[in-house]
Amino acid sequence: MFFDSDLLMSALRALTPILLAALGGALCERAGVFNIGLEGMMLMGCFTSVATSWFTGSAWLGVLAAALAAAAYSLILAVGAVTLRGDAVVLGIAMNLLAVGLTSFLLRTVFGVQGTFDDPSLAGLPLVGGFTPLAYLAFVAVAVAALMLSRHVWGLRLRGVGEAPDAAATLGVSPAKYKYAAVLISGVLCGLAGAQLALGNVTLFSENMTAGRGWIAVVAVMLGRAAPVGVLLAALLFGLAEAAGFRLQGVGLPQQATDAAPYVVTLVALFLSTARRRRRTANSPSGATT
Amino acid sequence: MLRRSRRTLQLVAATTLMVTAATACNAAAKTDASDSASGGSGKSFTLVTPDAVGQNEFLKLAVTGVKAAAKTHDGTEKVYESTDTASQQQNVQAAVDASPNVIVLVGFEFADLVAQQAKAHPKQQFLMIDACTTKTFTNVTCAVFREHEGVYLAGAEAGLLSKSGKVGAVDVLDTPQFRRYSDPFAAGAKKVAAKTSASTRFVGGQSPFDDSARAKEQANSLLSKGTDQIMAAAAAGNYGVFEAAKAKGAFAYGVDVNQCVSSPGTVVDNVIKKTDVAVEKGVEQVLAGKTGTSVSYGLKEGGISLTGLEAGVDSSKCVIAQHKDVLTKVKALRDQIVSGKLKVDDPAAS
Repeated sequence: MFFDSDLLMSALRALTPILLAALGGALCERAGVFNIGLEGMMLMGCFTSVATSWFTGSAWLGVLAAALAAAAYSLILAVGAVTLRGDAVVLGIAMNLLAVGLTSFLLRTVFGVQGTFDDPSLAGLPLVGGFTPLAYLAFVAVAVAALMLSRHVWGLRLRGVGEAPDAAATLGVSPAKYKYAAVLISGVLCGLAGAQLALGNVTLFSENMTAGRGWIAVVAVMLGRAAPVGVLLAALLFGLAEAAGFRLQGVGLPQQATDAAPYVVTLVALFLSTARRRRRTANSPSGATT
Repeated sequence: MLRRSRRTLQLVAATTLMVTAATACNAAAKTDASDSASGGSGKSFTLVTPDAVGQNEFLKLAVTGVKAAAKTHDGTEKVYESTDTASQQQNVQAAVDASPNVIVLVGFEFADLVAQQAKAHPKQQFLMIDACTTKTFTNVTCAVFREHEGVYLAGAEAGLLSKSGKVGAVDVLDTPQFRRYSDPFAAGAKKVAAKTSASTRFVGGQSPFDDSARAKEQANSLLSKGTDQIMAAAAAGNYGVFEAAKAKGAFAYGVDVNQCVSSPGTVVDNVIKKTDVAVEKGVEQVLAGKTGTSVSYGLKEGGISLTGLEAGVDSSKCVIAQHKDVLTKVKALRDQIVSGKLKVDDPAAS
């Protein structure tokens, strides 16, 4: 019984935070802002959701606060990269580092503990059919984002801003406005991802608890070529690889090997997708990629 | 132009003043500390911790141990709490500069620092707890723990309490040192119930020590195979393991300190490291002149124990408090290990 419903459940639980963050990253990518601060924004969401849930007793207020806090935190990237024209990669790395330090510091000052804050009376998100409502919301968000980007005028303009900002500006579309919107939405989504991780997957906060999930999300954005459905498939691949990795330990594979599972999957998927893309490019008469 | 430069001058002056004041404060604090050290007539002890003591039960016990040692010798104790690698280094240096009778250091973080300082200051006595320098020095005494003996007893409890006959462990990493928390658990369970099957999951990943979501999934993968007793040795991930066990009505075992309080009704017992015992005994050993050796503390020396075997088990919120019959059997096993009749295999022994 290697593939069973438990494996699928486990994969979907691993998938949700990554998917939410990656979706935010994809919108930024489409708007022409390379966002690698997903990890830090997610971590801010984790802490805010736990702190708010603890002091108000409501997990939903925690989710709301996480979305707002991460959106506010994402302003660093928006102001820095869009208004001040700074390097988004440098800003993203700085945001990730700052988030680890800031949340550890707040953990000490607000809760007076180090490492982990955990209390049996901390309110977590309710489970509907084994998953939190945020997990379902993630899938709805994929559909909404896909429709917006392909059909709605707002999404089309966003893509225009990302692909040719000067052309968009001549048409009367303000690139800065759309870039700000994309970064702020990615902040909200990362906040939700953090809340899902800290109040859904587990019900606690521990320092650096995102543990690289934001980076996996960045890779999912690249692998899914910043298309919502592509990102969903990439995130699903990671979720399955991780869940399968856990199971492989059960059949006797060493941990060091199962740890590598998500990365091996990434490499294989990258090779396959670039090979396919190159073949398609070679076949098409104009040589243009889509 | 003139005005501006004057203002700048003022600013510089003010800054200089502030810096001087801050330095003065610092110096004052330091003198204070050394005064209190020479205040007592007896011995002086300094404890350096790798992290802030705060709520860290493991380090709190070390503080208790140093205080007890100071009391026995009518001496004084000082505690230097570190917060990061840089402050660890500064604290060790400050401790060496004050030259107390014994400097006590807790944790593997200090191994390299102590090796350097021990060489440079051959007259200074160091006591390392829960770790040791790779090279032996005549002025470095070490106290290490035989965690596997406690884990074996926890495994025995699991074997006796398991209804499905399946026990498991969620461990941090697949290394010999960490296997001390998983292999003996299986051995202990099989000792009391030969048909028990056991398996281990390692958290791994990018940050194995604080990925509680991953630890929870690993626990879930054990639970879905019918495991109903889980040894949780996943550092911060333990909380994830407890959550998973609680959701499925299974049971878990904690480490280092009493973790029953964080999940009452789910955590059966804990393998505890009694740092206070190691500190007190270690200090005696150093003062008696038996330095430069590494002493290991297990069940026999009272350095390792289970919450269930200690006084106050009834108020510990541990599940084991309701299973006196199991405790009786485990106590018998402990006595066998203490007397040397029963030997627990050490996965870290090469």
